[in-house]
Amino acid sequence: MPRKMIIDTDTASDDAVAILMALQHPDIKVELVTIVAGNMPVAQGSINARYTIELCGKDVPVVEGADAPLTREIYRAYFFHGPDGMGNMNYPTPKLQPRPGHAVQALIDTIEANPGIMLVTLGPLTNVALAVAQAPYIVKNVSRCVVMGGAACTVGNITPAAEYNIWCDPEAARMVFHSGLPIEMVGWELCRGEANLSDEEMRYCKETINTPLAHFAIDCNYSALEANRNWLGDPGLGLPDPVAMAIAIDPTICTRSSKHFVEIECDGTFTRGMTVVDQCGVTPYDTANVAMWQGLISKFDRQPNVTVCWELDAARWKALLYQCLQQQEERP
Amino acid sequence: MPRKIIIDTDPGVDDSMAIFFALNSPELEVIGLTTIYGNVHTSLATTNALRLLEIAARTDIPVAQGANDPLAIPYGGPVPFVHGADGQGDANLPPPSTCAVDQSAAVFIIEQIMRQPGEVTLVPIGPLTNIALALRLEPRIAQRVREVVLMGGNALGPGNATPAAEANIHNDPEAADVVFGAPWQVTMVGLDVTHTVHMTSADLEAYARSSKATARHIVHILPKYRQYFEDTYGCDGIFVHDSSAIAYAIDPTLFTVQRWPVRVETSGLFSRGKTWPLVTQTDHRLPEWEGRPLVNVPTRVDGRRVVDLILSRI
Repeated sequence: MPRKMIIDTDTASDDAVAILMALQHPDIKVELVTIVAGNMPVAQGSINARYTIELCGKDVPVVEGADAPLTREIYRAYFFHGPDGMGNMNYPTPKLQPRPGHAVQALIDTIEANPGIMLVTLGPLTNVALAVAQAPYIVKNVSRCVVMGGAACTVGNITPAAEYNIWCDPEAARMVFHSGLPIEMVGWELCRGEANLSDEEMRYCKETINTPLAHFAIDCNYSALEANRNWLGDPGLGLPDPVAMAIAIDPTICTRSSKHFVEIECDGTFTRGMTVVDQCGVTPYDTANVAMWQGLISKFDRQPNVTVCWELDAARWKALLYQCLQQQEERP
Repeated sequence: MPRKIIIDTDPGVDDSMAIFFALNSPELEVIGLTTIYGNVHTSLATTNALRLLEIAARTDIPVAQGANDPLAIPYGGPVPFVHGADGQGDANLPPPSTCAVDQSAAVFIIEQIMRQPGEVTLVPIGPLTNIALALRLEPRIAQRVREVVLMGGNALGPGNATPAAEANIHNDPEAADVVFGAPWQVTMVGLDVTHTVHMTSADLEAYARSSKATARHIVHILPKYRQYFEDTYGCDGIFVHDSSAIAYAIDPTLFTVQRWPVRVETSGLFSRGKTWPLVTQTDHRLPEWEGRPLVNVPTRVDGRRVVDLILSRI
């Protein structure tokens, strides 16, 4: 039986590829897609998600959610994904309509109705924070909560200290990290370097796999590719959300992970949204830490709150991506 | 001609190793030790600095006592579980027979640098309060110093005092932000490299094989410090923090260095004391890093060669 999944997303180009991977994979059944403010305004993210679902020939409920972070002003990532979030490819308006209601209620209802469901978050954590604040009991029904976000003990992308999804709504991220959800953190650093698609690998998608989905996956990321090269100086196409989705679909693609206490810095002059990982386990030793970390440590009875992914098998993540791009004709 | 250095220090077991390493290295001429709180209170740091020079038979080198507290908030207190209550692994040493000079650390630093323009390298291996005070008292030291090679910070890795921050920077983040912002060349020998310079228990046996007074002293003070590394990191032996800065002063080619502007978080609930380099930038403007000098940040090191260099100077 396929594993059930909810995807919470601020759908721009790399989110779209992650959504299509989940939709195309035979072992995954997407029960719900919820839209949050982030890269894109909710209305545009919703269009992008529905277009992607339609392209895959599926009908999954899409429910729109919070259009702004809990307390912060929104900062969009137009520079990265293009004004439409999809590399300015002028895709047609989807016929699939969003479902009525609010994403937060849909998250609560769907999680309540589906014990053991997986939750994959690809954007800021505003919707999820609002859901666990209203219905804290839902966390026990979530088997895995895979979060694309943060940067474990290294530099971020939006500031030196922080990755965009967490930085965008740090208070929400903190609520989610404190919620008891079984979080697996796929940080931005894991989605760089050898995880990037090279020119050759992008050509392989378009010329060898050569399905409409393969063309879509590469074309809609045109702006992201340029931004990756020009702003971040990274060669190739970075696909953070699809990397997180690959780990959600097949956890063994993450080859090294460990559990740690992780806090979200909501304060700080330079460090808003930093994911503070106690990698060395120093919190129990130094009195400097006790006052700040005690709440988290005692809340979870000294059990670390987050599984941090440190390494991945780049070849296997790409193989899974290719498999999903190929699969569309085989399924009804 | 050997390079003149002033070591600003809070001895400290690894400070002691670093001081002896510098004293035994012909490439360096230690022209003074200045003391600071950190591993121990400042007054004890001074006592220990004097003891160490006596053990090394180098009481000709002046010791100047520095600040008792960080710039902005009171000192958080010593770390006896790392360095012992006496900062010397609870070794019960006799008091020193010499005294510190009648000059504060900051004034000593200023005088030495101004008197010998372009010659003095500052090697702070503790919190940076004295260095920031010296800069504020006499900003021209920034132009007259040769360079600053400090042990502290963590650019792309976790901290050791808190999950976010390294101990020296965490002790006085305000001072560190002043030092990284001054118009002089700073090299930040941080945990990025010092956590990969690993002296194993087999390496440490070299101290036991030596009959020199300095080596015997290190053997005497090491056990508690080693125990801390074993308990915290499951480490056989120790990571080489302070001596890595000395190694950089001797031979910078042991290190691969990146040049980035660095800010230090001075507020924050969890991240106070975190050093953040600006490595990549998007269209999201980051004015806090603009116009800041480029800091040398070693990101890789030939750890084996650093350890071999240290062992060759026992």
